[in-house]
Amino acid sequence: MYKRLLDRLLRWTLSLDVWINRIYPADFNPLYYTGGLSNLFLTVLVLSGIFLFLYYVPSFNDAYTSVQYITGAVPFGLNGVPYGQIIRGIHRYAADGFIIAILLHFFRNWFTERFRFSRDEPWISGMMLLVFAGFIGVNGYMLVWDQRAQLLVAMTGNTLAAIPIVGGALRSALFGGTGTTNLLLPRMLFLHVGPATALYVMLWWHYVRVRHPKVWPPAVWTLFSLGAVFLLSALIPAASQPLASTGAAPDRLAVDWFFLLPYVALKYVTPAWLVVLAVVIVVYGLYIPYQLPETPAAMGIRDSGIAQVVDANCTGCELCYFDCPYNAIVMVPSPHPGVTRAAQARKELAIVLESRCVECGICIGACPFEALELPGYLEEDIQGKVLDACRT
Amino acid sequence: MQEESVPYGGWIALLALVSLVSVIGMFWGELTNHRLWTGGFIGVVLIAYSFILLLLRKGGLTGV
Repeated sequence: MYKRLLDRLLRWTLSLDVWINRIYPADFNPLYYTGGLSNLFLTVLVLSGIFLFLYYVPSFNDAYTSVQYITGAVPFGLNGVPYGQIIRGIHRYAADGFIIAILLHFFRNWFTERFRFSRDEPWISGMMLLVFAGFIGVNGYMLVWDQRAQLLVAMTGNTLAAIPIVGGALRSALFGGTGTTNLLLPRMLFLHVGPATALYVMLWWHYVRVRHPKVWPPAVWTLFSLGAVFLLSALIPAASQPLASTGAAPDRLAVDWFFLLPYVALKYVTPAWLVVLAVVIVVYGLYIPYQLPETPAAMGIRDSGIAQVVDANCTGCELCYFDCPYNAIVMVPSPHPGVTRAAQARKELAIVLESRCVECGICIGACPFEALELPGYLEEDIQGKVLDACRT
Repeated sequence: MQEESVPYGGWIALLALVSLVSVIGMFWGELTNHRLWTGGFIGVVLIAYSFILLLLRKGGLTGV
């Protein structure tokens, strides 16, 4: 049933591609660049974040005022930071764009089953990127220390406290104690900047198993995305709520639907159920690559065996190394010359990493020296099949 | 190729005009301290450029 649903979603996704390709040239289709768009928005976030960091003061007394100073709000006006309002808006709307692009990337790769054939690592790292991005976005709202921030701190604290056994300790560790303490905003600032840096480590993990990843969108979409965040920053300036009060937290939440949706759920479910729901969603997300059968027999494909290098023939030309989409081939210094004339002067030797090889046979096609073979599917087998096909 | 590019020529010229007006608007915003407007005009210029690139490509004047 799940497979049938995936097949249907795949057909819808491809239909959407066809429809968009009628409007845009195929290599401009934005759905092909959702990962690159995420990267673009992340870069914008980092650059605008560095600018805001220079002026932000993480203390209860000064945080709100420093944000007002950045944006040139009352009483600063023109004495505020030049273009600070625009930069804050860019940070805000690039964050929304980041989440939208990541979610599109997530659903597209899910529906097109691009988590299979050793793509589980990009999938897992992508899930981690999504979770971290959500976390960073939420505590970014807390940094402003307006009434929304105060309410978010209260709601987050209550939700964490609902976690059995470790909930209270987790809340204290996150906020620097129970309730709002002087440690709260410095910690939130650290947890905003630190995980944002960790995103780049996860991005490396995300890319390391993907050959030729599209890390940047085409110029059309780079210009459009940058233009959109500039224009939105001007048309709907990012604004703070009133200053957080010293008393009880306010009872109404101004919602950013891209980051604060889980908090809306608290209107309908208890904090404990929200924690359960979040854990189930994340765990299921991590399980997706392993839900469908992955063995060659179960998938109805040939069992070719791990690719093997024919030492005598390898010339160290690196063609297989560049062509392998799974990074399953590495080049090492050759311990001895090859046997064939072409291989005698080699400096390097190709080695297949068994754990990464998916037995696809791409390296066989890449090698002009017959220096690679699939033990369960030798060249003469292929030739025999071709001849049989020709005869019939 | 030329037949395809003809319908887009007018649009490209219009977008170029919008860009020019927006650049003038950027200077006006900076000189008169209307910084939100300056930011908005920067956005309009970037979006206009993106559509110019798209139309150049659809018209067969750039790209593959």
